[in-house]
Amino acid sequence: MLGFIAMAVIAGMLVGLSRQINGRLALSTSAMESSFWNHIVGLVFITAVALMTGGLFAGDPWAAPWWAWLGGPIGVIFIAAGSWLIPRIGAARTAMLIIAGQMVSGVVLDLVMGAPGSGIARAAGVALIFAGLWIARTDENA
Amino acid sequence: MPGAPSSSWISFLAAFGAGGLLTLMILFNGTLAMHGSLFFSSWVPHLTGTFAALGLLLVLRPPRAASVRPPLWAYLGGVSGAVTVMLTSAAMNTALALSGTIALGLAGQVLFSLFADMRGFLGLPQRNPTRRDFISILLIMAGSLIIIFYGGVT
Repeated sequence: MLGFIAMAVIAGMLVGLSRQINGRLALSTSAMESSFWNHIVGLVFITAVALMTGGLFAGDPWAAPWWAWLGGPIGVIFIAAGSWLIPRIGAARTAMLIIAGQMVSGVVLDLVMGAPGSGIARAAGVALIFAGLWIARTDENA
Repeated sequence: MPGAPSSSWISFLAAFGAGGLLTLMILFNGTLAMHGSLFFSSWVPHLTGTFAALGLLLVLRPPRAASVRPPLWAYLGGVSGAVTVMLTSAAMNTALALSGTIALGLAGQVLFSLFADMRGFLGLPQRNPTRRDFISILLIMAGSLIIIFYGGVT
């Protein structure tokens, strides 16, 4: 169990590491170029691992709805945004604001899709997040 | 807020908006993973993303920030991102479940970013988080944990 906990925590750390490395690349190139390298290097890496383990085309991926294929271009903007932000506002603020946006939009998406869940918990969570955003926003050192 | 650069508002909104993009990405890639393999659901967005980024580079032609070549390791961010997908998928099929995996991942991300800021890790600007930063992080993490464990976000 401890091993799985470590895996989940390390996965989160790697998100930060990836953003830090891409941000460093953007300092020498540009945010969009760092996003390009992130994608092509990731593509080569995943292809290599998938060739070793096999099963890349398992299942019936062609049955997925058309919009499920659109994650790539969105990811390009997401990675470029992270690379642009991290030297400007720092790693912690970048992570914190992205998490806030992810959580609030996740609640909105769940409401739109009618996903089951506690309304009170969602409202309390969003309220705490907005309080945190407000405190970050009124920081004179921002 | 006198003296505050107006660009900080743009950064603030951009980062919050990027979080919204992340939700869409997870929805799209997750839907792909329900039909195909997990590798496929990460391979396809990397493939289409490579072409999308190439197209945007050709159209926008952003200027290079420095004439000095970046160190070679600076090109390896994509490896770290790809390993994240593999670790996350392995962890969420255990007793941790999706909620626990997300919560621990957020904790890892926040701790790493605080450390990275304080050390100026990998050549990015060094900065010390303020007391308000810590309060803000605690509030956002508390809100996130409530949503993850009690709000039904998947």
